[in-house]
Amino acid sequence: MNATGIPLKEPAVSAAAGDTEQFERALIDASTRVPVLIFYTSAVAWLILGTLLAGFVSFKLHTPDLLSDISFLTWGRVRPVHMNVMVYGWASMAGMGTAIWLMARLCRTVLRYPLLLVAGAGFWNLGVFLGVCGILLGDSTGYQWLEFPSYAAIILFVAYTLVASWAVLMFRFRRGEQIYITQWYLLGAFLWFPWLYAAGQLMLFVVPVQGVLQAAVGWWYANNLLFLWFGAIGLGTAYYMIPKVIGRPVYSYHLATIGFWSYALFSSWTGMQRLVDGPFPAWMVTASIAATILTLIPVATVGLNHHMTMQGYFPLMRYSPTLRFTVFGAMSYTVFSLVGVLISLRSVARYVNFTQASIAYSHLGLYAFFTMVIFGAMYYIVPRLIGREWRYGSLIKLHFWASAYGIGLMTLMLLAGGFMQGASMENPSLAFSESVESVMPYLRGRSLSGILLMVSHFIFAYHFGLMLFGLGRKSTVPTFLNPVEAEGAEVAH
Amino acid sequence: MKGLAPLFLGIFGTFAFSWVGLTVIPNWQIGHLNPQSDEEGTDIYPLPQSGMVTRGARVYAANGCNYCHSEQVRAEYAGADIERKWGDRRSAPRDYIFERPVLLGKMRMGQDLANIGARAPKEEESPSPTGGASPAPQGAAASPGAVASAKGASPPPAISPSPVTAAATSPGAIASKPPTSPGPASPPPSKSPAAAAAAPSPSAPWPEQTAGLPPMYSAAWHHVHLYSPRSINLDSNMPSYRFLYQTRRISDARSSDALQLTGSDAPPEGWEIVPTYDAKCLVAYMMALNQSHPLKDVRSAGAPAAASPAASASPAPGGQPAK
Repeated sequence: MNATGIPLKEPAVSAAAGDTEQFERALIDASTRVPVLIFYTSAVAWLILGTLLAGFVSFKLHTPDLLSDISFLTWGRVRPVHMNVMVYGWASMAGMGTAIWLMARLCRTVLRYPLLLVAGAGFWNLGVFLGVCGILLGDSTGYQWLEFPSYAAIILFVAYTLVASWAVLMFRFRRGEQIYITQWYLLGAFLWFPWLYAAGQLMLFVVPVQGVLQAAVGWWYANNLLFLWFGAIGLGTAYYMIPKVIGRPVYSYHLATIGFWSYALFSSWTGMQRLVDGPFPAWMVTASIAATILTLIPVATVGLNHHMTMQGYFPLMRYSPTLRFTVFGAMSYTVFSLVGVLISLRSVARYVNFTQASIAYSHLGLYAFFTMVIFGAMYYIVPRLIGREWRYGSLIKLHFWASAYGIGLMTLMLLAGGFMQGASMENPSLAFSESVESVMPYLRGRSLSGILLMVSHFIFAYHFGLMLFGLGRKSTVPTFLNPVEAEGAEVAH
Repeated sequence: MKGLAPLFLGIFGTFAFSWVGLTVIPNWQIGHLNPQSDEEGTDIYPLPQSGMVTRGARVYAANGCNYCHSEQVRAEYAGADIERKWGDRRSAPRDYIFERPVLLGKMRMGQDLANIGARAPKEEESPSPTGGASPAPQGAAASPGAVASAKGASPPPAISPSPVTAAATSPGAIASKPPTSPGPASPPPSKSPAAAAAAPSPSAPWPEQTAGLPPMYSAAWHHVHLYSPRSINLDSNMPSYRFLYQTRRISDARSSDALQLTGSDAPPEGWEIVPTYDAKCLVAYMMALNQSHPLKDVRSAGAPAAASPAASASPAPGGQPAK
């Protein structure tokens, strides 16, 4: 591998600024090392558990007698455990780890008292663990994404307060007046999550609202968690990683501003479209459908911004793992939003409302977009924390393709299956059982995609484990997916 | 962007806007509904749930039934729910005011259960979730047949808001209906299993009723179904909930609760399978799922068509039945 003239290094700005800045960055990275690695390690452990559960749930859906006689392995308990492990165990922890690292870097300040964050991670793990046990033992609350019983929710909230206040406090010590785009999103995410979580818990459990409003609050929470928490972290990370890796500033700050504020305004009003034609005042649903359509504005601006930044640099995706995962995630954000608009239209929702298509939508958001961006970030961040490079380029490639094909297949299966299921369900001359029958082949296909994802996650966990134990490559050159050729070098110039 | 203050205010403002718009205002609009009643205050709907039903709802949620079964009927224009006979009117916020947790559901890998209790055989249907709270022993809510005919007799509530329910549910109206009914254009949807078996419609969930089973949607049937779904419908992909049941030796006489199982599911001689308390609560909850009571603010299906004969006999103020 020829290391000279490789385009994939620190952007030109830092190279010009010289050694002091490099040194300072290394100091900042070192200060975040312990907490971020703890967040990442826990996240990967939860990811593996969640993946195994996902496979189990998926198979049980078409093989209902599989281990169904054991109360804590019944489908209806394992499924919420899978969702919550993925949402709070994997995605939230990996997101927080990434966000902390990005905050420290962008505020250009060393992380003070990192041990407080370690305590936060510990409590968070405890909360997720207790919640999982609670659901398995039959303590689930029954509200989507808020199934954790209250004793787990309180611990999660305390842990979160510890983490978020620390991340936000970094702003106090920040250097430089300019606040970068990524910081807007991260500050938003860190502030939105506790308000959201507190509002959801208060209105459902402390002073519960009446009747169907519980469902409205539940979906308002779930959708905003997807957008204002995961979406904001994911977009913020992409805004950092893409320019960083290709060494080029973001195309337009103005576009980014429009994108951010329209995102905050419109995406927070979605959610009720999931209750379409339910027992609610029609204006609630209509408002959310309108907001969902309006999210096309941030999608277009963010997408355009990333695209123009990448313009001419797309061939670099051949080499940089970070770039490949991040760009895949950023593109999935567009697909995710388009699918969201499509299935929220009343004429379509009539068919897909009660089908597997909504599962496809959640997976697009949480996996194809968020998780892929976070994978990309982890490929960038972990070597900087450990001081070693990823050991095998081939494993990263395998991880990427298994993930990409896995989530692609899953989305196709669930969307197509959902439309088939909905079409049969809306035809009253067919028996209801026909609609279930019609989706079964697609569910088997989905299980197949689950196996692909399982392979990909095991590969990633193994590779991550090698890094943790210091078995990475000792090198100053990052690990590329393909040997860098001469033409690759030319692209950068 | 410079300065934290505008950023912080914007972040807070967008969140507050969404919170007020999508939770606070709806709460102000439909968050404090009361049960409806007629003028004498006798025919109250809905009624608070009994302890067993409340516990049953928790068992239902804890075992994730809501991930496959919805509990909401959409209006005719929005889906085929009413044509599938999952209810004869759309669900309304008032139907759920005593439910906690509310389990509307987002997936139909199984049927909608909003009216599963209303589909029980007549003698089995619990008159109301609280039992004794039913004001009149012959009250309309006690028998699904009566409810259906009363609904058939009532003019569209949208036109006459108040006195309809009173008129339609008065015992006189019910008593007068069956003999005089000349078979209106569209009879109210039949809910008795006998009728379903006699004329299996394609949309009936399981057209072929297996012999040797309790009547469909009776409590005993639910227990058998929960214990062994595929003994009732071979194609079902519902998991079995055997962990909610107990196999025990028959001490002196067979328990009246024991499941009527056949074939390979049947326990060995001298043993019986009985529901645990949780299973009984779960079935009590399902039997209480019943939105067949008319609501003043929701039009019931079939109401306009069947208006003429019985409605003219009812003491409702003139004008409405002339449709």
